[in-house]
Amino acid sequence: METKQPESIRNKRRPIGVLSSITVNFFHLRNPWVSACWSAFFPGFGFIIMGSYVKGFLLVGWEFLINSQAHINLAIMYSFQGKFDLAREVLDVRWTLLYLAVWSFGIWGSYALTIDINKLAILGNREDSTMVPVSIGALDISFLDKRQPWVAGILSVFSPGLGHLYTHRIPTSFVLLVLTIGTVYFSHILQGIQYSAMGDFSLAKAVIDPQWLLFIPSIYGFAIYDCYVNTVEYNKLFEQEQARFLRDNYQNPRFRSRLIVTANQED
Amino acid sequence: MFVAGSFEYNLHLELAISELEKKGIPRDNIAAVLMDSRVEERKILDTIHRADGISSFDAAALIGTFGLLLGAIYGFLLNWGLVVWGLIGLLGGAVLGLLGDIFITRIFNKKRPGKATGTVKGAAPQVVLIVECHDDRAAAIKDILWDNLALGVGTLPG
Repeated sequence: METKQPESIRNKRRPIGVLSSITVNFFHLRNPWVSACWSAFFPGFGFIIMGSYVKGFLLVGWEFLINSQAHINLAIMYSFQGKFDLAREVLDVRWTLLYLAVWSFGIWGSYALTIDINKLAILGNREDSTMVPVSIGALDISFLDKRQPWVAGILSVFSPGLGHLYTHRIPTSFVLLVLTIGTVYFSHILQGIQYSAMGDFSLAKAVIDPQWLLFIPSIYGFAIYDCYVNTVEYNKLFEQEQARFLRDNYQNPRFRSRLIVTANQED
Repeated sequence: MFVAGSFEYNLHLELAISELEKKGIPRDNIAAVLMDSRVEERKILDTIHRADGISSFDAAALIGTFGLLLGAIYGFLLNWGLVVWGLIGLLGGAVLGLLGDIFITRIFNKKRPGKATGTVKGAAPQVVLIVECHDDRAAAIKDILWDNLALGVGTLPG
């Protein structure tokens, strides 16, 4: 009666993921509110955490263009500080309205995508889909392995993007390294850190460009969070894949009967 | 006789198996028992050995990021400047998120009595490998298992 499709088709129809030489992209369960929050912090991040890179990069680029032209970050800062007149003044109305629809779409879109991906993750698991655990290409090598989540987190604390190099998620690493260089340079944050460390806080405030600075908290938090979660999920995926290999190859029923005979002789 | 070794899921386990096969142990004489772990009390951070699937990191990361943002914004108005206040906001937000998460989980877990809360110290064995062989080869097989980071090795004569 069992009419399960052959494994080759099962793995193609309801795959659990794909391992390419530059990244391991796969489905796992997530909280949709978490993706929605990341998209709210920085449009595109909610898609990047799911490995939806083209959409993610598109929205990240869009965010940089529109936000820096419309001065959304400055307006956010002045609004939080209670300086509403300044906030109104600083917004460039030639650009501002462009922000709303796409920002909202980012939040809703990543929320909805998470829910769909959760369904696909459940289906893939029920089909017992698996993936080839190693991929070697002309330019890079990737494989499933057990890694330390806190190492990934700490590396991203030192420099956003490094944790993703450790877990071999190259596209995220690339975009984070580029974003970090750009925002750190234009916001003058390193000078601000230098002056703060020397105790000259007023000089630190004067040198920093708040429009660029306000990009940094989201990038920093996201880099740490995302590579930590990836490491944990990659470890689980490794165990799942290896368990299946062992089940398929090293659970011969004849072995069991021999073991029972031996154990009974012991008694 | 039978030689058993307990392992974690890792590449050493496969190295051990392939070495056994290379040394002439037929595949049918090797069996792997996949151990389900006992439900553990959830811990704050996941390790390489285990992950409870409930990420305490979500709230901490999100609220920490928001704290970093607020710290940077209000740091422009406050005495110590935005770098110091940003870091205070990050740490404060992360701790707040973590505590909130632990607090909510504690309430949530209370509603489900009977959940086992025993903890396993250190690494829990996740795969037990059983190898059937002649008595004179047992020592060599034990060495292979130990060399590939077995957590424990034992024998069953027979």
